[in-house]
Amino acid sequence: MAGYILVDHVKKIYNSGKDAVEAVSGVSFVANKGEFIAILGPSGCGKSTLLMMCGGLEPTSAGTITIDGQQVTGPRANVGVMFQDSTLLPWKTVLENILFPVKIQRRPLAQYRERALQLIEMVGLHGFADMKPHQLSGGMRQRVAICRALVTDPDILLMDEPFSALDAMTRDEMNDALLDIWERYRKTGLFVTHSIREAVYLADRVLVMTRRPATIIADIKVPFSRPRDASINNHADFNDICDQLRRLIEHKRTAWSETKAA
Amino acid sequence: MTSGSASQDKPIPEAAYALGLPLVLGVAVLVGWQLAVRLTGISPVIVPAPTDIVRSFGSIAGDLLHHGWATGSEALFAFILSVLFGVAAALLLGFSTLAFETFYPGLVVFQIIPKIALAPLFTFWLGIASTSRLSCAVFISFFPVTLATMTGLKRADVNALRLCQALGASRLQTFVSVQIPYALPYFFSGAKVAATMSIIGIVVGEFISANAGLGYYMLRAQSYGETAHLFAAILVLCCIGLFLYIIPVQAERWVRRWWWN
Amino acid sequence: MREAMAPLGSMMLSSAADLGGRIIAIFARGVRTLQLGRRVLLPSALALALMFGWEFGTRAAHLSSMIIVPPSAVFAVLTASYGILLQQAVPTIVETLIGFALAAGIGIVLGTTLMLFRRVRQALYPHVLTFQLIPKIALAPLFIVWFGVGPTSRLSLAVFMAFFPVVIATIAGLLSADRSAVRMANAMMASSWQTFISIRVPYALPHIFAGLKIAVTMAMIGVIVGEFVTAQAGLGYIIMMASSGGDTALTFAAIILLCLFGLALYGAVALGEWLVERRMGVTVTSGEF
Repeated sequence: MAGYILVDHVKKIYNSGKDAVEAVSGVSFVANKGEFIAILGPSGCGKSTLLMMCGGLEPTSAGTITIDGQQVTGPRANVGVMFQDSTLLPWKTVLENILFPVKIQRRPLAQYRERALQLIEMVGLHGFADMKPHQLSGGMRQRVAICRALVTDPDILLMDEPFSALDAMTRDEMNDALLDIWERYRKTGLFVTHSIREAVYLADRVLVMTRRPATIIADIKVPFSRPRDASINNHADFNDICDQLRRLIEHKRTAWSETKAA
Repeated sequence: MTSGSASQDKPIPEAAYALGLPLVLGVAVLVGWQLAVRLTGISPVIVPAPTDIVRSFGSIAGDLLHHGWATGSEALFAFILSVLFGVAAALLLGFSTLAFETFYPGLVVFQIIPKIALAPLFTFWLGIASTSRLSCAVFISFFPVTLATMTGLKRADVNALRLCQALGASRLQTFVSVQIPYALPYFFSGAKVAATMSIIGIVVGEFISANAGLGYYMLRAQSYGETAHLFAAILVLCCIGLFLYIIPVQAERWVRRWWWN
Repeated sequence: MREAMAPLGSMMLSSAADLGGRIIAIFARGVRTLQLGRRVLLPSALALALMFGWEFGTRAAHLSSMIIVPPSAVFAVLTASYGILLQQAVPTIVETLIGFALAAGIGIVLGTTLMLFRRVRQALYPHVLTFQLIPKIALAPLFIVWFGVGPTSRLSLAVFMAFFPVVIATIAGLLSADRSAVRMANAMMASSWQTFISIRVPYALPHIFAGLKIAVTMAMIGVIVGEFVTAQAGLGYIIMMASSGGDTALTFAAIILLCLFGLALYGAVALGEWLVERRMGVTVTSGEF
C-alpha cells in the first residue's frame, strides 16, 4: 500500500495477564498526503489511543505506523498536535504560547515570529498577541492552540476532539475556522471526534471505529469538494451520509449489547 | 443571618461589619483588660495593664532594639539560607528520579519528627555563638521548603507535560519551561512556613543559651518578674514575625502580577 | 508511676502495631506493583550506608565521644538506661497527648462555632489570624510566669500552639463545601443540621485532618520547648541535661525515642484519616504530607 500515513494492523493492549484490556484491535488504514481524515466513534472507544500512537506518544503493542516512509517510534518535529484542552501556559502571552514549540525545538525565533503573527491574524485574533490566556474565552484559546500547532509548519496535524469542550455555537465557528485554515494550508490531518455532523463537515474521509476492542468498520468518502462552506449542511447528500454513519454506529452498538446480554 | 430589618432605611454595608466588628472587639478587650487589672489590683508581675506595657516600651527601647535586632537579623538570615538550600534540594530531587527515590522517604521522615529536639545538640556542638542557632533554624526551616517545592514540581499540569512530550522537548526543557513555573505557588507556601519556623528556631536557640536576643531577654524578664517588659518583647517579636512572613507573601503577589498577568 | 505505665505501654504498643501494619500493607502493595525495587531499596540502601558510615567513620576518626558517638554506643545506652528513659518519656508523652486532644477538641468546637455564626466569625477570625502569625513559642516565658515550672505551663504552651491551626482548618474546611451540594440540600428541604452533618462535615474532613497533622507537630514542639525552658522532667529535659553534660550517647538516645514517638503520633493521625476515608469510600486527602 502506498500512502503518506500507513497504519498497519495496529493493536494496543493495556496491562497484561488476566487484567489485559485490548483497547485497539487490528486497525489498518492509509492516509494520503493532504487528506483530512475524521476518526469517528463513541466515547472511550480507543480513538484517542490510536491518535496518540500515530503521534508517537504511545507505543503500539503490535503492528506498525509509518509516516512518509519512516516508522513511528517517538514524537516528531513535523507533527502538530491539538488536544481537547487548549493547554496554554498561563504565564505566557498568546504570542509566546504560539512560539513555544519554536523555542523547544530550538528553531530561530525571529524567523517564526512573522509567521506566528500571520497565524494570529488568520484565526481572527488580531490585537490579542500580548494577552494572557485567562483573558481569552474557550474558543479563543483553542484558536491559539491551532496557531501553535501550525507555527512550525508541520506536515501532519493530529487533533484529538479539540472542540468537544466548547459550546455548540463556538464549536460551529471553530469548524468554519478550521475549514478556512485547511484551504490555506493543506496539511494531512487526523481528527478524532464523536460528532457525526462535525466529521462529515470537515473531512475528506470518515473512518468509523467501534467500541473497544476498537476496529475500523467503515471508510466513507465525503463527496463535497473544497472550498466548503456552511451551505453543505443543507445538502441532501450531507444528511444521507450522516444517516449512513449513524446507522453503522447504532448497528454496531446494538450488536455489541446483544452479544453482551447473551 | 442577614443584616438589616425591614424598618431600616439605610442598611449597614457589609464592609462596615467586616472591618468594624474585629476592631470593636479588639478595643473592647484592651479596655476590659485595663479596667480588670486596675480594679482587681492584681500584681503587675502576673498581669500588667496595657498602659504599663506601653510605658515600658519607653524605658527599655534601647534593650528592645538591641535584642530585637539580634533576633531579627539572625531569623532573616536563617530564612534566606533555608529558602536557598530548600530550593536547591527541591530542584535536584525534582529533576533526578534517582535522587528523588533515594532521598524522598528520608525527607518525609525528617519533616515529621520534632526537629526542635535537636536544638540543644546544635548548641552543644557549635557553642553559644549565632552559628548554632542559625544552623538549628535552617535545619528546621529547610524541609518545608524542599517538600513543598518538590510537590509543586511533581504536580505540573498533566496536559502541559503531554504537550512537551508531543513537541519532543528534552527533560531539562520540560523541567525549566513547565515544571518550575507550575511549582511556584507551592514554593511560596513552603516559604511562608519557613518564615515561621526560622523565628521559632532562633528563639528556641536563645532560650537554651544565649546572651543576646529576644528569647534570652524574655527569659531574663520572666526571672526578674518584669512581666510588662516581657509583653513588650513579645510584641517586638510579633513585629519581626510579621515582617518575615510578609516577605514571601509580597514576593508571591509581585511574581503573580508581573508574570501571570 | 509504674501503674500509669501499663495502659500507656499498651497504648504505645498498639499504635506501633498500627503503624507496623500500615507499613506492611504498603510493602505488600509495592511488591505487587513491582515498584518495590527502586522505591524501597534505594532509600534503604541510603539509610544503611549512612548507618555504616556513621558507625565506622566515628570509630576510624577517633573523634571525641563528646562530639559524636557511633550508633552502637547509642544503642547500648538505649538498652542500658531503658528504664530511666521510658520513665522520663511518660510526662512528655502524656502532656503531648493531652495537649493535642485539648487543642483538637477546643479547636474544632471553636472553628465550628465561628463558621456557624457569621457575626462572631467576622469579629473573631481576624484576631485568630493575627494570633496565628505570632511566633507562639515566644509565649513560653509568659506561661511560666502564670503557671510556674510545672506541667501546667508546658501543657498550656502545647495547647496554645496546636489549637490555632485546628481552628483555621476547621473553618476553611466547613466553608469549602461545594456550593451546588449545599444548594441541592436546601432544595430538598434539608434542615440546617442535616445540611451541616451530611454535606459540610464530609467536605471539611480533609482540611480538618490536615490541620490535625499540623497540630500534633505543634503540640510536641510546645511540650519539648517547654521542657527545655522549665528544665524539670521529660525527654526534652534529658536532652538538655545530657548535651550540656557532654553525654552525647544519652542525648542521641533521648532524641531517637522522642522522634519515634513523634512518628507514631503523626502516624496515628494519618491512620485515623485513612480509616475515615475508607469508611466514607472516597479518596479525599490532598495526598501531601
